[in-house]
Amino acid sequence: MANSLRLYLTCIRNTLDAAMCLQASLEFRTCLAVFLKLQKLLLQSKVQGYSKRTSENFPCQEVERHNKPEVELKTSPELLLNPVLICRNEAEKCLIETSINSIRISLKVQLDGYFIVKQSDELENILAKKFLRFLSMRAESFQVLRRKPVQLNGLPVEAYAGYDISFLITNYHCEDMHKHKLIDFIVQFMEDIDKEISELKLSVNTRGRLVATEFLKQFV
Amino acid sequence: MAEGFVDDENLEAIVTRIEQKSRKIESLLKQSKPVEALKTALEGSILKTRDERCKSANWIVVHRAIMAIKDVDAMLSYLDPEYYDILMKYLYRGLATGDRPTCDQCLKIHEKLTEKAGLGCILRSLADTVNTV
Repeated sequence: MANSLRLYLTCIRNTLDAAMCLQASLEFRTCLAVFLKLQKLLLQSKVQGYSKRTSENFPCQEVERHNKPEVELKTSPELLLNPVLICRNEAEKCLIETSINSIRISLKVQLDGYFIVKQSDELENILAKKFLRFLSMRAESFQVLRRKPVQLNGLPVEAYAGYDISFLITNYHCEDMHKHKLIDFIVQFMEDIDKEISELKLSVNTRGRLVATEFLKQFV
Repeated sequence: MAEGFVDDENLEAIVTRIEQKSRKIESLLKQSKPVEALKTALEGSILKTRDERCKSANWIVVHRAIMAIKDVDAMLSYLDPEYYDILMKYLYRGLATGDRPTCDQCLKIHEKLTEKAGLGCILRSLADTVNTV
């Protein structure tokens, strides 16, 4: 199981590398927890005057003086690259859409034990939804996060509509931040999501048990 | 962009050719030669057609060959570099299916192929909107 996760993340990393035309090798690995720590990683990746650039500044072709992320609008097909869907299994997938000045990465996370237990765990579904909504609402501080996950089905084959969380990386982000660190951020995010949700679930169950024990003591 | 793309009359010919190819591949797989099978599957791929039937038929054949591969390193050393791009496009098509064994196999091959062919291979499969799989 761990090996397939490693292969999945490697595949996503390589694809993002190519989509952003990177050449740097990816050695950076740290252990980060949710929100504040992820934000710290993002701040660490800020740099001045990084010369290697690919997602280039491309002003809007239709409207003068406008500069829009082409991957969101999809008005001109010549500016878009083939969208790529990378599935790890039936429940977990990652859609990467690239354009001349921006990249959109949409993730659908699988919850632990879904396929082993063969029953949907309502608590995990609720926790995941709330947690990802919490992050999306604070998208300003993450900068590359999109406020709403992508809902439309962009591909002709089995890409089911509906993702849990989406990132939008524009050329401005690439100018401000190291690209390999942006990719590290995204892959780290994916690794940490599962861990965080399991921890949340554990703490909810623990709290519930403690409260119930205390409350029922009065009846003993 | 009509020129360069295959006409409708030739579609039947292509589908027949794909069927012949699949028979040849089945026989190669029976002889436990998965690597030759994959090479045969990739060889006749018509990329310039827009017809979904041809693409699906070819995909089924290539998928069969990919799932039969056990030794990825040997396969990549045997395969000519000109087929790397086509293989990468088929790998992405495999990854999009969402079927667990297919995705596992495709992820395995993807990692090794990226090491061998480099990021340019991935970029060509992303950027090529004309020759799609």
